[in-house]
Amino acid sequence: MPAINQQSEPVIEIRELVTYYGERKILDGINLTVESGEIMVVMGGSGSGKSTLLRHLLSLNRPAAGNIRLFGQEVNKLSSRALHQMRQRIGVSFQGGALFNSLNVEENVAFPLREHTRLDDNTIRIMARMKLEVVNLAGFEKLMPSQLSGGMIKRAALARAIVMDPKLLFFDEPSAGLDPVVSADLDELILRLRDAMGVTIVVVTHELESAFRIADRITVLDKGKILITGTTQEVKESDNPRVQNLLNRRTEDIPVNADEYLQRLTDDLAGL
Amino acid sequence: MTRPAHFIAHTGRISLAAIEEMGYQFTLFAESLYWLIAGPFVSQPVRLSAVADEMMKIGVLAVPVVVLLSFSNGVMMAIQGIATLQEFDAESQVVPGIAYSVTREFGVLIAAIVVAGRSGSAIAARIGSMQMSQEIDALRVMGIEPVRHLVAPILLAMLLMMPVLTLLADSAALIGGGLYTGIVLKLSLSTFIDRCFDTLAVYDLMQGLVKSLVFGVLIALIACSNGFSVTGGSEGLGRATTRSVVLSIAAIVVADMIFTYFLNR
Amino acid sequence: MGYKIEEAAGFAIVHLEGDVDLSRSPTARQAILDCLQERQHVLVDLTAVTYIDSSGVASLVEGFQVSRRMSLDFALIGVSDAAMSVLQLARLDQVFPIFASLDARLAQADPKT
Repeated sequence: MPAINQQSEPVIEIRELVTYYGERKILDGINLTVESGEIMVVMGGSGSGKSTLLRHLLSLNRPAAGNIRLFGQEVNKLSSRALHQMRQRIGVSFQGGALFNSLNVEENVAFPLREHTRLDDNTIRIMARMKLEVVNLAGFEKLMPSQLSGGMIKRAALARAIVMDPKLLFFDEPSAGLDPVVSADLDELILRLRDAMGVTIVVVTHELESAFRIADRITVLDKGKILITGTTQEVKESDNPRVQNLLNRRTEDIPVNADEYLQRLTDDLAGL
Repeated sequence: MTRPAHFIAHTGRISLAAIEEMGYQFTLFAESLYWLIAGPFVSQPVRLSAVADEMMKIGVLAVPVVVLLSFSNGVMMAIQGIATLQEFDAESQVVPGIAYSVTREFGVLIAAIVVAGRSGSAIAARIGSMQMSQEIDALRVMGIEPVRHLVAPILLAMLLMMPVLTLLADSAALIGGGLYTGIVLKLSLSTFIDRCFDTLAVYDLMQGLVKSLVFGVLIALIACSNGFSVTGGSEGLGRATTRSVVLSIAAIVVADMIFTYFLNR
Repeated sequence: MGYKIEEAAGFAIVHLEGDVDLSRSPTARQAILDCLQERQHVLVDLTAVTYIDSSGVASLVEGFQVSRRMSLDFALIGVSDAAMSVLQLARLDQVFPIFASLDARLAQADPKT
């Protein structure tokens, strides 16, 4: 494991983040710090709030309370121009790839360069194809997204996410919907990227195996709260029963409140 | 809750939602204008290639349908006009009748309804499916404003193509009306056209053209806002597409009525 | 500001320096392509490079491609570990002729490897 540079300031700092969806509290007092060059895996089941946390880190949602600092700057206080510049240092690989359906693979990968730089056309093409080499998609540059398999879509999306050489990379569910071999390949790729580019990586996933394979540190999210943040070893050895439940894929037994339960089943029925 | 209370609450919710939607459409409009004007100065210009692409899809490809519908409409107006005016022995007055109603009303209305049907649905579907597949989020996190990238080119293309389509519709309808009138009243097409020009003032043409701009904006905003607010899978996409067409045609007709009232007082 | 170009032993040596990133790589690209246009054999010296991003590497790739088309010699010298890991990521370390220094290049007899 490469040494994490403790001298430089953290790339991500989340303080007391609270968010709601309607009346429902989705995230409740999240505190998390991600150091430069580390791979942080955010783990949790569905409904744990991990996708919401990611949307906040990407500044797609605004928090109800608390704040997020990226590269030492508080995102909510950034001018749109500063946010625009910050976003060029961040790469995102979405769960479903989010490739532009009207563009072929190479155009997809080159898209951020065409929008943000004035580089020569040849340079842009070479850069895009280099990233396709990195993700092992060489030779597929002329295919349209609809012609790609699930694993290829993820890799093309990753190529697009790293085409601007970002300092921070987000990866949403890298292994979702992939067979174990392809998923292991992708994990390998994530590790190689960090080592070669020194990029800080945040992976959001519910896949245990993948999480333990790539993580420097893991944070476990449950019902909008962080249960534990620590090294893979620390998480494995945690005596928190809910962490252990998640690790052993046991669903938690929620004690039944007879009155509320009955109420839920019969609410709104006529003639009661 | 009692039934009337339900009804009032329901009506209230719907009105609130409608106001919210109009507010959102206004934001889209303001932001698009911002990017069209200020974009080049903050080195995030609206791409001309995207505008040209939209002009093709919205305008050029709509030409055959617009011409066909307007021509038929012109013929129908001539048929009905002559039939009605015959009762007063005033068939020859059919020319100013057609000339006025085509340039002020029907030319622009046909162009707008065709564009609403073709492009209103296509735009809502395109943006909606991009929303569903997180392509819109992807644009945003790349630092590319979806409004600049998607809405502004559509809006500009509408503003450029709607007047053109309207003029085409006007011409096709006048030719249609002229041909039928010519056959029935033994009037040559050139005489018909001459008499149209005698009747028409620039004001009449302008009335149609100004309305075409407003209708274009309405179609663009309604289609885009419906696309962006797609939720709930492919069923939601279908709903947004239909809604976009129905709402834009309704908006066009209502706006037209309001315009006509104020412009012809 | 351009890069220093030195002529030695039949090579034009382009000394890149500092951060070769999105803002500087077009200059690097131009310097390399200019030398090749003048039909010179080119060595790109990366000794003083603190950081090179993929646009910088892309400029090197384009230079190498042009040199092959024109049957000129092209090689990298003084590749730092950081630069090497960027090259390795896309397996370009197996593509470029890479030497420790000009002397190492000259020690090799055949001009085209």
